This record gives sequence, C-alpha cells and structure tokens, in this order.
Amino acid sequence: MSALAAQQRTLAALLRRGSSIADDAEASALATGNARLTGAAQVEIYREQFFLRHVDALREDFGAVAHLLGAEAFEALARAYLATHPPRTFSLRDLGAELPAFIGEPRARDLARVEWAFVEAFDAPSLPALDASDLATVTEAEWPALRLALQPCVRLLSIAYPAHDYRASVRRSEAPPPPAPRASFVAIYRGPDSLHGLDLTPAAYALLAQLAAGTPLGEACELASCVSPADFAVDLAGWFRQWTTLGLFSLNAPRQASRTSSGGS
Amino acid sequence: MGVGFRAAHRAHVLEARPAMDWFEVISENFMVAGGRPHETLARLQDSYAVVPHGVSLAVGSVEPLDEEHLRQLRALCDRIDPPWVSDHLCWGRAPGVHLHDLLPLPYTREAIDHVVERVKRVQGTLERPFALENVSTYMAYRDSTMQEWEFVAEIAERADCGLLLDCNNAYVSARNHDGDAARHIDAMPADRVVQIHLAGHTDKGAYLLDTHADHVCEDVWDLYRRSLARCGSVSTLVEWDDAIPSWDVLAAEAQRARAERAAVLAQVIP
Repeated sequence: MSALAAQQRTLAALLRRGSSIADDAEASALATGNARLTGAAQVEIYREQFFLRHVDALREDFGAVAHLLGAEAFEALARAYLATHPPRTFSLRDLGAELPAFIGEPRARDLARVEWAFVEAFDAPSLPALDASDLATVTEAEWPALRLALQPCVRLLSIAYPAHDYRASVRRSEAPPPPAPRASFVAIYRGPDSLHGLDLTPAAYALLAQLAAGTPLGEACELASCVSPADFAVDLAGWFRQWTTLGLFSLNAPRQASRTSSGGS
Repeated sequence: MGVGFRAAHRAHVLEARPAMDWFEVISENFMVAGGRPHETLARLQDSYAVVPHGVSLAVGSVEPLDEEHLRQLRALCDRIDPPWVSDHLCWGRAPGVHLHDLLPLPYTREAIDHVVERVKRVQGTLERPFALENVSTYMAYRDSTMQEWEFVAEIAERADCGLLLDCNNAYVSARNHDGDAARHIDAMPADRVVQIHLAGHTDKGAYLLDTHADHVCEDVWDLYRRSLARCGSVSTLVEWDDAIPSWDVLAAEAQRARAERAAVLAQVIP
C-alpha cells in the first residue's frame, strides 16, 4: 500500500471514532501541530466536523423525529446510526435512507418513514401527468384492463401512528404532543409549489397501492373494495377526480417507479 | 460578479430576479433524478449564467474515481453548459466511506502524481474546463515536503487545469499554520486562475474555521486586491453558507467585491 493510501485509511478510521482523538498516537504521528494545537488536536478538528456535519444533515431531513426524541436522544441516535451506516455515496441526500429501518421504537420509526418519503418526493423525476381528458377517451369496456401508473414522486405509506400530522405540526413550529397510536394511510407527493401529504381512507390506500403495483383497474377495485365496501362504492369517482386533479397519475409511466410501504420495515 | 445560490434565497431570486451576473450552484445538489432541483435550475438559468461547483468529487482520494459521480456530473454539465466546472483539491473518500469533507493532501510528489492523473481523467470525461480550489486546512502533515502553493501550482501546470483561488481559504490555512497567505497568492500561476472565491470564517481561538458564516474580513479583502493585481479581470464569487443573511446583505457583499475589483483593475489596466 502506498504512503498516501495508508495515510487516508488511517485518517478515515480516526475521523469516524466515536470519541476524541486529541491524545491519539496515530493522529499525532500524522500531523505536525503548532504552538496552539498538538498534531492530534489538529486531526481532532476534522473528527468533530465529521459528526457535526452528518448529525446536522440527519437533523435537517428528520426534524420531526428530532423534535419527538429531543436533541440529546436524537444526537445519540444519529451517532449510533453513523457508526453502523457510514455515508457511502457522494451525496449527503442519501445519508438517511436506512434510518427509518434502523429505528426500533415504532412511533419514531413511522415518523422517520414519513420524513424520508418527503425527501424522496422532493427530487423524484416528473412524468407527464394523466388528467381527466385522457381518461375520457377510455371506453367502458376498456376500464377493467386499464393500468394506471403513479408519478415517481408519489409515496404511499401505511403507518400505525398519524406521523404525517405530527410532522406538519412540527414544521409549523408548534409543540404537538407525541402522536397516539392510530392506523393511518397517506400519499406523499410533490405538487407544483410544495410537497404534500394526502390522508387516505384504508380503501383508497388499498386501491392506490394495487395500481402502483401494476394491477389492472378492475382487479384493483375488486381487491380494494374488500377493505371497506360501503366507502368504496360511495367514494370511488370522487377519489379519481381528486387524484387526477392533484396529478398523482402519470401518462405512460414506468409502473415500478412508484412505491408503497407498509408498517414493519 | 456572482454569489452562491442557496435555498434561503431561492424564492427571492427566482421571483424577483435581482441583479446578479451569475450564480454558482453546488453540483451534488442538482445531480439527482429530477424534481424540484431540476425545476429550480431551469428557472435559474432563465435569467442567469450558472456554474457548478462540486464538494464531493474527492479528486485526491486513493479510492478509484466514482464513475457514477462523474457520469452524473457530466450529465449536469451537458444540461447547463457552464463555461467551467470546479471542485476542490482534497480527498474525502476511503474504503467503504465518503467522509463528505475537504480533507487536505500531504504536499508530496506522490500526491502530485496521483492528483495529476486523476484530474486528467476528470477533464477527459467532462470535456470542458475544470478548475481546482485550494481548501482551508486545519492540520499540517509531517510528510509534506513542499509549500502548499508549490503543490497547487505544479498540479495545475502538469494536469493542465484551471485554478479556483479561494482567498479566504488561503488566509485561513496561513493563519492556522503560521504561514503567509500573500506568498500563496503571489505564487499562483496567474494565467490558470479562472475564478476567485471570497467568504467569511469563524475564529475558534486556537484556529480559524472556514464556516462561510460571516462577512469577508479586511485581511481577505487585502488578499483579494492582491489577487486581482496579479490575475486581472477574473470572475469572482461570494460564498455565504451558514448564518445566511438576507439577500440584501449578500448582494451588498458582492457589490463591495465589484467595487474593489473595479478599483484594482483601473490601476492595473489604465
């Protein structure tokens, strides 16, 4: 191994240490120091920055989780996460991808899943939207076999806590109480001006999830109607009006681009 | 004269279209599949020239160059067609981890050879002018065998690349290592400097930290004037990334840079 490679490996390990390296012999062997700082203390500056930068990045993406847990507990969570999930890609945007699955406590985990869905919705590509006029050309005989694809930015979540409401409250700088358990279904998507979370009924969620999976409309409706037959019959037309108005469906979109996510991940 | 485009000013810039010659964007923030970043970039380009400035290429890392990073950077450049693209003369990747920092290199012949080869590959992929920025440093390697300015200048010459001369970084590093920033400025190959950065820093007592969280200090303005006297009419950009002020404060900082440059150039180019 070259001297440069050995130095970089040593430094990379030192900078990820969970505690100070200001007295570390390896760090001291690398840097000269000066009248104000020892060599190891110079390297310690970079170690501190590694954690400050990455904990800050996680706090930015998971602000509601940080609010729920409190500053100290969130920092401990972030440092534990970084120890087992070091940043691997060139973009800090990817840093929190595994945090929801890393969190064991169900309420915080649901909240993290909602917040990560917003991160993904932010920079997912846009495809031409399907609107009511596109559907007007579909004949009655064609409806059952119709496959509708969601926009790549749409994320469907089935969660055990109303985490979306809690996140919205935190972002309004309120001080909401921790959410109590309540089965919740939400579609997170990107609108023309901002990101949104749309509360769904269980049947509406089931229908969108089936469509996202590529199930033909007729079969998707049958499966979703089993969830809540009464609601389904009343609301179906209204759902489609709302969803097409919001631009949730794409025209000729790759079906696998949208994802559903239910509890336990 | 330009400033760094930051989310805090997004709405104002895109809606009010304030006077500014150009914006620098952080490349990685726009190397995504689409969505809001792409929309923002397209709207920004409607009114301004845009130059991508990377923070994660890690050109000095021993790890193989990240081909996906290069592919996406090339795609970004193809989309916005900038006059040049820049990143930092540093390392940041190691096996299994991207440290997301601008880590200094030892000033050695081995590091020069390594970086020169890598910069040539980057330029070959991007097929457009590429500039390296000197970074703020907080540690000095025992292994270094030359001054930073000798290291930077030789890499620029041998790799045939541009330089992004960051006056604040030169100042921070000089203060942190009891060096002489003016000597750094004087040693830069002037014909390779394509851009100058100005920014503020934070005094941490035992060292200066490159936070981009304050006004440009008077000592750095001195270095800026010195740089202009050597390099001539070079594009200048003001960075402000933490404790971000109102647009008016940032624009006033850029206006001062514009006035300083005009005054120096009036003397240099009568």
